[in-house]
Amino acid sequence: MNWQLIAFAFLTGATLYSAFRVATDRNITHAALYLAITFLGVAGYFLLLGAEFLAAVQVLVYEGAVMTVMVFAIMLSEMREVRGEKVSVGKLLRSRYWGPLPLLIGLGFFGAVMMVLRDPNLSNRQPASANASLTELAGALLTTYIIPFEVVSVLLLAAMVGAIIIAKRGGEES
Amino acid sequence: MISIPLTYFLAAGAALFGLGLYGALRRTNIITVLMCIELMLNAVNINFITFSRYITSTGSQVTGQVFSVFIMAVGAAEVAVGLAIILAWVRRRQQVNINEINNLRG
Repeated sequence: MNWQLIAFAFLTGATLYSAFRVATDRNITHAALYLAITFLGVAGYFLLLGAEFLAAVQVLVYEGAVMTVMVFAIMLSEMREVRGEKVSVGKLLRSRYWGPLPLLIGLGFFGAVMMVLRDPNLSNRQPASANASLTELAGALLTTYIIPFEVVSVLLLAAMVGAIIIAKRGGEES
Repeated sequence: MISIPLTYFLAAGAALFGLGLYGALRRTNIITVLMCIELMLNAVNINFITFSRYITSTGSQVTGQVFSVFIMAVGAAEVAVGLAIILAWVRRRQQVNINEINNLRG
């Protein structure tokens, strides 16, 4: 057993456990903090796969920006999920709550992907000796993918303006 | 050199996506639904990076990383606009349950 498998097992445990807590925890602040751990775990996967730049971007964007905005929104809206709400069978059948359907859909998706992964062409595949360097990534972004790159920057600008306008107008009307 | 099989990473990504899917469908708190959507975006990013690492032709190796950069940008934009909408809604109605947000219902 080599160190990569140990690191992979540790990362998988931490990431999937905290993702599970995000999906199930009733306390929304706890869910947000578990989400931060999940993002760190995903950054660990990126490091393990040799994508150091993306790991850094993951920590900067998700840990730095997205988590801050989420915690900020939770604090501002003062929302707390009701603890231990009772959901009866009759209520489930009246389709307000979907009952076990989400669990079935999630497990069904995972099962379908695992069926695909049994393909020996996938499991026998060998990795490249080195991952693409940062120079290559920058080159591709600014030559081959220059138009999507510009579109994404316009999208970010539009999102920023839109977020400001929506938040501001909501404040005026209330 | 990586000694972990390709399928391990893909299975981890699929599990993460499945958890996000379950949470996004099951939760009724709108912010948590947004969090679960972020989980799914991250799972997709894991898959992109994994495939980019396991592609052996050098020219196309960087494509997966480029696309996951785009996904991160779109995810950040989605969170900014989504949370602004949620905050505006909460300020008007004091309501975060997605079952109660049905103003457009005829």
